[in-house]
Amino acid sequence: MISHSGFVSITLFPPPSKVFASLWEMIISKTIFLDLRDSLWRLILGLFLGSAFGVIIGLFTGRNKIFENIFLPIIQIFRPLPPVAIIPLVIIWFGIDDGAKIFSIAFAVFFPVWLNTHIGVGRIAQEFLWSAKLLTASSIKIFHKIVFPSAIPFIIAGIRTGIAVAFVMVFVSELSGASGGLGYRISISSLTYRIDEMIAALIVLGALGALTDQLFVFATNKIFPWIKFSIK
Amino acid sequence: MNHILVKNLSVNYKNFCALKSVNFDVNKGEFVAIVGKSGSGKTTFLKALAGFVPFLGQVTIPKNIGMMFQNYATFAWLTVSENIAFGLDGKNSKEQIKIIDEHLKLAELEDKRDKYPAELSGGQMQRVALARSLAHNSEVLLMDEPYGSLDAYTRDKMQQWLLNIWTKYNKTIVFVTHNIEEAIFLADRVLVLNDQKFVGEYKISFTRPRNESIKFSPEFNILRQEIFESLNQHLVS
Repeated sequence: MISHSGFVSITLFPPPSKVFASLWEMIISKTIFLDLRDSLWRLILGLFLGSAFGVIIGLFTGRNKIFENIFLPIIQIFRPLPPVAIIPLVIIWFGIDDGAKIFSIAFAVFFPVWLNTHIGVGRIAQEFLWSAKLLTASSIKIFHKIVFPSAIPFIIAGIRTGIAVAFVMVFVSELSGASGGLGYRISISSLTYRIDEMIAALIVLGALGALTDQLFVFATNKIFPWIKFSIK
Repeated sequence: MNHILVKNLSVNYKNFCALKSVNFDVNKGEFVAIVGKSGSGKTTFLKALAGFVPFLGQVTIPKNIGMMFQNYATFAWLTVSENIAFGLDGKNSKEQIKIIDEHLKLAELEDKRDKYPAELSGGQMQRVALARSLAHNSEVLLMDEPYGSLDAYTRDKMQQWLLNIWTKYNKTIVFVTHNIEEAIFLADRVLVLNDQKFVGEYKISFTRPRNESIKFSPEFNILRQEIFESLNQHLVS
């Protein structure tokens, strides 16, 4: 209605019908699927690497004073950095290919996952550890069966934050030096003044973010059913 | 024969003395209760027995001990049967299943085998914690106000259940509580801990098996009065 009222430019504020027509066009031409494929591949790999390093280092820094003393000062220096600020540097290091984009996403995902894991394993109830020590002499079993599972709700919270950050980073990293992906599509549409196409790509990006988060929640509830019972 | 022997046990935290040169002994299969008010050092005493806090003095206790806490300490991410199986290192799966079945029956939780602790009531969680220690074949059970967070009805039921278990397995139990009535009902001996040392000892001579009716007997009330006075006298002096 606002678009058709004449108060605003229809080019700058395209009506939903035009946005959905563009979206349909992108579906028919399969460009949206190619962009989705490119973005998802970078997102999944970056998310996986950032989460894996975040969890592993978080487990060590959360439970081991020596590791904490070594890694904590280094991590605390990098943590306040806006992840987008490292993009120019990683482009120099890795070139403009996928390597730079995946590294940027992994870098951004690492911090929330690390911090949550670090706090999670450090906050395990002492009674759990005491009970476990009386029942088994194996420190590997205590770590694997007690320390790690007790941190899982924290790790999940960290990865959920990481997913949101990863979507920001996949978009930003594709703004320059990309030949495909949702960020690239939005950037190209902006240059060609195709606002309808921009909005369509943004809708897809938003929907993909929400879907990924909900799939993650669904999967974690299936894999760790005790979490939903614990949060009564 | 002494199953637990403690000589001149002292525990000091940073700026605070939690236990002052405490002596204590328990015979094999004996049920000893320790009563005391908050901050008297009850929990610290159990932690020292279990080796969880550094101490001065001598503690002789079997290696294989189990401990129960007020907040249950059942592992939230393991099912009831997995909790019970946690301490069964070195047993093959057939033996494990047999022990789990036996202890599920003991804890009256056969129908909760695959449930998680968060799906259980407080009393049920405490039964899982005890079944886990018994499955591990702990010789000594250290119980730190295990029924402190249960309602009165569940607490009474759990006390009776614990007495049945103790009669069957004849484990050595050190039971910490702030409830004088609970201590008299359960124990062979009640020790009063106050100001970081034992200030009274009461032999409980009610015959076993015991039931709720003894709580209404004159002897029970006299004991309750004496222990209560012992706790408060010391506070005044």
